[in-house]
Amino acid sequence: MRLDPVDYAVISQSLIAAAREMGAKMIRSAFSTIVREARDCSAALMDRDGNVVAQAELIPLQLGPMGTTFRPCAELFPVDTLEAGDFYINNDPFNGGQHLPDIYIFSPIFHGGRVIAFSATTAHHLDLGGGSPGLNAGATDVYQEGLRIPPSRYNLKRDWGPSGNFQRLVTANIRVPDQTIGDIDAQFAANAVGAERVGELCAKYGVDKIEAAMAELIAYSERRVRAALRAIPNGVYRGEDWVDDDGVSDAPLLVKATVTVKDDAIDIDFAGTCPQVARNLNAPFASTVSAALSCVKAVLTSPDIPFNEGVKRPIHVTAPLGSLLNPRPPAPVRARLEASYRVFNAVMKALAQAAPDRVIASGFDTTTVGCFSFLGPDGYRVYLEVFGGGYGASALGDGCDAVDSPLSNCSNTPIEAMDMEYDYIRVVEYALVPDSGGLGRHRGGLGFVRRYAVLKDGVTFALYADRFKGRPDGVFGGASGTLGRCEVLRAGRVIQLKSKDSMTLAKGDIVSLQMGGGAGYGPAAERPAALVERDLADGFVTTLKARAAE
Amino acid sequence: MLRVGVEVGGTFTDLVAVGAGELVITKVPSVSSAPDVGAFRALTESGLAFAGITDLAHGSTVATNAVLERKGARIALIATRGFRDILLLQRHDRRSIYDLAYRKPEPLVARRDIFEVGERILADGSVLTELDPAELDRLIRAHLRPGAYEAVAIALLNSYANPAHEHRVAEIVRAGLPGLPVTCSADVAREFREYERTSTTVLATYVQPVIAGYLARFQARLAEAGFTGRLSVMQSNGGLMPAEGMGLNAVTALFSGPAAGVMGATRLAGLSGYRDLITFDMGGTSTDICLVENGRPGLASETEIDGLPARTPVLDIVTVGAGGGSIVWADDGGMLRVGPRSAGADPGPACYGRGGTAATVTDAHVIRGTIRPTAFLGGAMAIDAGAARLALTGLGRQFERAVETLADDAIRLAEANIVRAIQLVSTERGRDPRDYALVPFGGAGPLHAVRIAEALGVETILVPPCAGVISAYGLLAADYAYYDSATRRAELEEGVEATVRQAFAEMCERAERRLAEVGLSGTPSLDLVADMRFVGQAFEVPVALPVERIDRLTAAEIRTLFEAAHERLYRHGSGAGKRVEIVAFRLGAHLPSAALPPLKPPAGRFAAGNATVVEGGRRFDCPIRARATFAAGARVDGPLLIEDSTSTVYVPDGWRGTIDEHFNLILGRSP
Repeated sequence: MRLDPVDYAVISQSLIAAAREMGAKMIRSAFSTIVREARDCSAALMDRDGNVVAQAELIPLQLGPMGTTFRPCAELFPVDTLEAGDFYINNDPFNGGQHLPDIYIFSPIFHGGRVIAFSATTAHHLDLGGGSPGLNAGATDVYQEGLRIPPSRYNLKRDWGPSGNFQRLVTANIRVPDQTIGDIDAQFAANAVGAERVGELCAKYGVDKIEAAMAELIAYSERRVRAALRAIPNGVYRGEDWVDDDGVSDAPLLVKATVTVKDDAIDIDFAGTCPQVARNLNAPFASTVSAALSCVKAVLTSPDIPFNEGVKRPIHVTAPLGSLLNPRPPAPVRARLEASYRVFNAVMKALAQAAPDRVIASGFDTTTVGCFSFLGPDGYRVYLEVFGGGYGASALGDGCDAVDSPLSNCSNTPIEAMDMEYDYIRVVEYALVPDSGGLGRHRGGLGFVRRYAVLKDGVTFALYADRFKGRPDGVFGGASGTLGRCEVLRAGRVIQLKSKDSMTLAKGDIVSLQMGGGAGYGPAAERPAALVERDLADGFVTTLKARAAE
Repeated sequence: MLRVGVEVGGTFTDLVAVGAGELVITKVPSVSSAPDVGAFRALTESGLAFAGITDLAHGSTVATNAVLERKGARIALIATRGFRDILLLQRHDRRSIYDLAYRKPEPLVARRDIFEVGERILADGSVLTELDPAELDRLIRAHLRPGAYEAVAIALLNSYANPAHEHRVAEIVRAGLPGLPVTCSADVAREFREYERTSTTVLATYVQPVIAGYLARFQARLAEAGFTGRLSVMQSNGGLMPAEGMGLNAVTALFSGPAAGVMGATRLAGLSGYRDLITFDMGGTSTDICLVENGRPGLASETEIDGLPARTPVLDIVTVGAGGGSIVWADDGGMLRVGPRSAGADPGPACYGRGGTAATVTDAHVIRGTIRPTAFLGGAMAIDAGAARLALTGLGRQFERAVETLADDAIRLAEANIVRAIQLVSTERGRDPRDYALVPFGGAGPLHAVRIAEALGVETILVPPCAGVISAYGLLAADYAYYDSATRRAELEEGVEATVRQAFAEMCERAERRLAEVGLSGTPSLDLVADMRFVGQAFEVPVALPVERIDRLTAAEIRTLFEAAHERLYRHGSGAGKRVEIVAFRLGAHLPSAALPPLKPPAGRFAAGNATVVEGGRRFDCPIRARATFAAGARVDGPLLIEDSTSTVYVPDGWRGTIDEHFNLILGRSP
């Protein structure tokens, strides 16, 4: 079917708008801080074969896995056998997923008795059971990390709701069901919104035009990505970076990328990357693909290319089975983002050789997850927050200070919201860390610190982070960024925590969680004097000499 | 009794005056460097006697421009120890997730001008750490020396729950630095979320001296010319405030322009009995859309300017980058696009002949036949149809379409962009656009209204006359308004009724006092909204509470109202057994302004004529008539183009309408 250019433009923009509306509504009606404040979720519309057509761009790392979690569901329960109210659900890292807290739900959209599309959402759920509330930092296999939902089909009417078998099974296995079930309900509601919008479009334009526009939108994104790739010189480019350690031994975990650009396609291979590890630092293959894809998209293509299956087609990613970036089951995978960030850094370093003006220096580029939980008389309370750090500097300017890292985009929880909600911890400082950005013609973004006073005995603290040992690398003569750290101040004594650690806290403890700054771009000697003066006056930089002597 | 509205826009300054039942309309060019000069000139040219003016309502972009151009006051900010960097940390997120060179919105106060004081109040209002006045004295001596700053903002943690520390700091600063304006966050936005409240406070502090200086200058000039009436200023919430009241919270002066337009359109539609409206104001670069229910435009509790959040009631206006100057282009994936880039006023569309070469929506109308080159802006501007054709030719070739067809395509795309924005304020919020009348204004609105209505299924369009001076008219139409808010968390259970009534009583008392302080008397009409959510949620749903039965309102009724609102918005909500809480209350107090006569289209020198229009693959003849030639009660039938000095109404085949006794054109489908 040949589409009129206006119909096509209107329908495709409407599909993108519908996906955005799904995402916005899921966030605004969600219950847990991780979805509602941190926005750790995604929404998409897919064609009947599970190809993403339009996606709300909320979290870069969730580019990609919609398709990979859909496919095993559709293989087990063919699309043509679906009935009204059916949905697919999957959170299995070894069936296309990333880590257990991300639950993917797909709702078929029917028109004239036939499935014509799917609305899909994923959200990071605060607690899905497992060895400890919110985060089991010491898990040695995936079973200890929480409830695993294999690719499945259930029916909303029959299996969900307070008396539905599936909802009851989930509820019985999780610690804060009000929030988790509330968030899953928000996913179903967002899926319903997507179905309604697609239904309206079918009523207006006819289902043939809608299906044709879906196919064309995917082809359109693919064309634009290929056009961008053609502008890059052909060649083989290499980059590598390290995760500090696996939380057990001290050995760094190598991530190695070989990027081959050939005409309008790009091949990214991670051969040479270290083997999978015994703790939760493993990155399921879907995470590896998303991280590599995000880097290529950010560096080489225009930000207004709508994300869908077409963006993925010219970009081919491989990683050896059994490696850190493609682990075998039942490897624990909860902290997969750290390795994913090194994928991002390694691919960036490789692309620096092909497109030096478009890359940035390494940023702190780490996810730091701190989780304070408390079992009181009314059950579990869980506070979990996700932090970024300083961005790497670019050819255009200084790196952004204190912001979430590139693969994620979480907001902070306001201090006043925490003061209202948590009676076992209180934030006593939230501040930029002066001198934490790597100097350069453009300096790296500053890191920041959050200090928590513990108000009750028996609060459990769990942490995963990275870059407590390996600093972000500068580019083209810029200085490296700085490290993160976590300390507990107890009765005048400082206890250093490791980047993957947990601890039982006592009343009066002060937990200090510090995120590092990004690296510089170009030599510091080339920095304009006015910017140096401003940095000193505003206290972003305090002692230039001290920094140079490090 | 002579009332005058003067609206300063980017290009023109408009004046509408109403005295003994007669309307006076004056339009003069704006003076961008000195808006008051343009405003004063409009008054002089109108020929009105200054001494006879009882009320002068003024709208300007002074506050907005001070922020956008960073020309506000040099200010200091005092924050709680440990939290100096709140304005720099912001919310830790990025607005553009793939932009590797991302920068956060730049705060209005530099880090070197932010100071900490030791103190801490908790969420329940109790004091954890007492304030130390000696520390403040030291801070003032060391950093806040006379002349160093033009104003001081104070934003301490949890001050919404207990403003005592902020007020004490203000006292000490005022004592140490007499005459310096000091603004406390609890007086500007008494709501939780420290970044948003601090940002709002800093915005208010930053623009306050600018507005005060501007109004003092304007008032002095007016007084010199003999004006002894009351000068009022338009606020972003769609209400007026006497000039002396702007010192309290200058943040309400931001975005007053679009608000005035909505108020004007709402009042004009109201004359004809239409109270549920979707207004759309389409100008050169963008379109502002607002949903009006029962004669009251929707309010949002937060907006932002230059990326900086402002927690203040504003008319809930959605802006989309689709205007007459929006550029028509093809992207590198071969998709035809319109906007959001605009050719602006300079060089403007190619057909303006000022050196613009990019094809715009206005050029497309010239080629399609819906703008007559000889009568654009009442013939005030010459149109170069050849330049318009040249600008569109390349795109026509690329898409293998005749240039007229491509022009029509571009217009349909611009309309689709507006349709999506209207869906954002209607469908996406659980409102059906078919329940509303569409009210287009602004120079380009009436050209597109019918096709937009068709796409939305809207049956009625009301086109007010004089699309170009609706904002100035809105200044006269607006009420005096005062808004207040208070974060007060209360779970919805038996006994909550007392909390609701107490909050309402306190806010009413405060509103009446504030209105009296600025010289406004009378009994205000009141609206009460509770921001509510299920316990655990972070975003609240505004729920209007019936003020007239506030004394009998039960917790169960409030819950029913909340569940309906939540369900409408999010498709889930009747959560049996889920706990519900109120987080904040908002009160609006309105003192209505006097009745207004309708706007009457001025007679112009328009000749009737004929255009050849190409639309939807058809080419047909379309008659052109001047709006002023229609008497009240006249009927019109499409296809027809109706011109006045500021805009053209396009009535396609299949639509017809009537000019009613208020000079509004009411359009509907032909039977």
